[in-house]
Amino acid sequence: MDAVVFAVLNGVIYGLLLFMVSAGLTLIFGMMGVLNFAHASFYMLGAYFAYALQGLVGFAGAVVLSTLLVGGVGVVVERGFLRRVHRHGHAHELLLTFGLSFIVAELVKLFFGNYPVDYRVPKALDFAAFAVGTQQYPVYRVLMGGIALLMFAAIYLLLTRTRIGIVVRAAIYRPRMVEALGHHVQLVFMGVFGIGAALAGLAGAVAGAFYTTNPNMALEIGVMVFVVVVVGGLGSLAGAMLASLLIGILTSLAVGVDASIADLAALVGAREWAQGIGGLLTLKLSSLAATIPFALMLLVLLLRPSGLMGERT
Amino acid sequence: MLVHSIVRTAVASAALLGGIAHAAPVKIGLVETLSGPQASSGQAYRAGVRYAIDRLNAAGGWNGESVQLLEYDNQGGPAGASDKLKAAIADGVQIVVQGSSSAIGGQVTEDVRKHNLRNPGKEIVYINVGAEALELTGEKCNFHHFRFAGNAQVRVKALVDGMKQANALGTKVYAINQNYSWGQDVEQAVVDNQAYGGYKVVEKTLHDVNKIQDFAPYIAKIGASGAETVITGNWSNDLLLLMKASKAGGLKARFGTVYLDQPGNIANAGELAAGHFIVHAFNAEAGGAEGQRFVDDYKAKMGHVPVFVEPQTVFAIEMVAEALKRSKPEGGALNANAFAKTLESTKITTPVGEWSVRASDHQALLPMVVSMVSKDAKYKADDTAFGFKPVKVFSAEQAAAPAQASCKMQRPG
Repeated sequence: MDAVVFAVLNGVIYGLLLFMVSAGLTLIFGMMGVLNFAHASFYMLGAYFAYALQGLVGFAGAVVLSTLLVGGVGVVVERGFLRRVHRHGHAHELLLTFGLSFIVAELVKLFFGNYPVDYRVPKALDFAAFAVGTQQYPVYRVLMGGIALLMFAAIYLLLTRTRIGIVVRAAIYRPRMVEALGHHVQLVFMGVFGIGAALAGLAGAVAGAFYTTNPNMALEIGVMVFVVVVVGGLGSLAGAMLASLLIGILTSLAVGVDASIADLAALVGAREWAQGIGGLLTLKLSSLAATIPFALMLLVLLLRPSGLMGERT
Repeated sequence: MLVHSIVRTAVASAALLGGIAHAAPVKIGLVETLSGPQASSGQAYRAGVRYAIDRLNAAGGWNGESVQLLEYDNQGGPAGASDKLKAAIADGVQIVVQGSSSAIGGQVTEDVRKHNLRNPGKEIVYINVGAEALELTGEKCNFHHFRFAGNAQVRVKALVDGMKQANALGTKVYAINQNYSWGQDVEQAVVDNQAYGGYKVVEKTLHDVNKIQDFAPYIAKIGASGAETVITGNWSNDLLLLMKASKAGGLKARFGTVYLDQPGNIANAGELAAGHFIVHAFNAEAGGAEGQRFVDDYKAKMGHVPVFVEPQTVFAIEMVAEALKRSKPEGGALNANAFAKTLESTKITTPVGEWSVRASDHQALLPMVVSMVSKDAKYKADDTAFGFKPVKVFSAEQAAAPAQASCKMQRPG
């Protein structure tokens, strides 16, 4: 029982982290129709900025500052690059962000080297929050989950309860109409892009200390974030939340399951046969844990191509 | 018409070559991962190779000429390596060096074997400086492949022995590894050494390679198994994240590792690395005065101290250099088959012991050092207060694991 509680808890927190990164991506897609390949690079930049700044302004200050800085980078990318190629269509925008992700990765290697940097959870936050059985639960994980929940609440309220939210949501569906009504749509785009980038930066600054800060971190999380956004439905914030949690909990639970198809076959008395065949039939579920999200994505694309909560097909 | 021009070109270039050079310099081709996510490993191998070849050339090269080092970027995958190997062969490379990833090693050794079958008289030799999957000296072994690195059986046996002598092994061991040839080999080796090490494998796990961000679920599983020691062949992020998650989860188990000395690991893990073990091919402290001299010279030439796979790569190329020294040029050039035969009987002395090669499967017999992360270590890692304190040095004979029966080597006549 302890193990299951623990697995679910782990899964939820990891899911919330995935949500932090994918929230910005799905917002940007919803608004501009651009699948931003450089989004995970913002996540990496957040971690590296926080690492570089923590000596100067302390951990909390570094997290806040790096969030703002990455938001600034996002604004520059939108204003200086994306807007220029916008009229050439989505393919150009996609290629641009794709190229950008390589440039960011190489720049990071240039300045910070090839190996993981020494960015760690500060001593003051490095203790156990509670224990389940013999397992301790680190307070920092709880903190990461809390930040993600706060973020979800803030964006959700901003989008549904404020005037800015109304303009933004309107600009997603009918940008020309919104423009005709006298709103500065370009500014809205820039703002959303900047905030989306800042959210990824915040996630990076917080998670980089807990996991590792290395030049591959964008690549590592990038794929998973795309899976989240596709499963949740492109452009849907609530969908991203649902998909993140689903993926987090499924992978976490799968690690604890050592069953294979051969065990399933045993129910009908075919274990010997299945073990004789070997290969896929005797592969343990736990060794496939990291592949489950992709299977989920395939399933969702087959059954519900617009994603769990996507509105458009 | 075409034939004519080819003949004319051939005649012209033959005349040109004959006029200038009487001997072809030996070309060594490094086919490594020099870009992309795993570039850091490839660049470490490159540093070791460059250092050793500079030394070889400073000592006069081979046959009165400098040995040329050509570098090729395999872009991190077997397909790229296969392409770049063709380019290297076209450039006249006779000795190919590669180390990172057993998947790439498997491709290179197969390509080399096929090339040598199809092009008698133009053989090339593959110097494997780090691909440690057992199959390379097992089913896939061939006469032109030499592995100058450990393998899972060698590493785990030494690790288990060293940790046992340090009273740090315990009786319950958990094996967690990456799900590909190397990780599976390590898992098998941990199981095979149960009687030898006097422990029981309580559980074993294989996981995806460098895809997992969150190791907390795995740590929960290890905690629930009651393991005292975790043995893992994990490298790069998979090792670091595993150890960080173990600290965060309050896991009390001790880690026995192979790649804990990869740069950045100790800096990133901090105090939580203390008390964990590593089995590696070189430890400067265990090497005494010779070790010190090697470290100082390497640092003077390359700008940093040799860590991770660099020392074993240097010694591997020193084996090559020694074999070259004993090879006589035939018609002004190197005969690859004769060179390979010479390499089989080559021995060198490194600061931690003697290196040689077993002729039956071309697995290097090399000393192994088991070290513990400690503040008492003479050489610190990553500018931290910690370093690797040698616990036990195994000579090449002590560390060796028997040759695999699956190796059926075809020797040239």
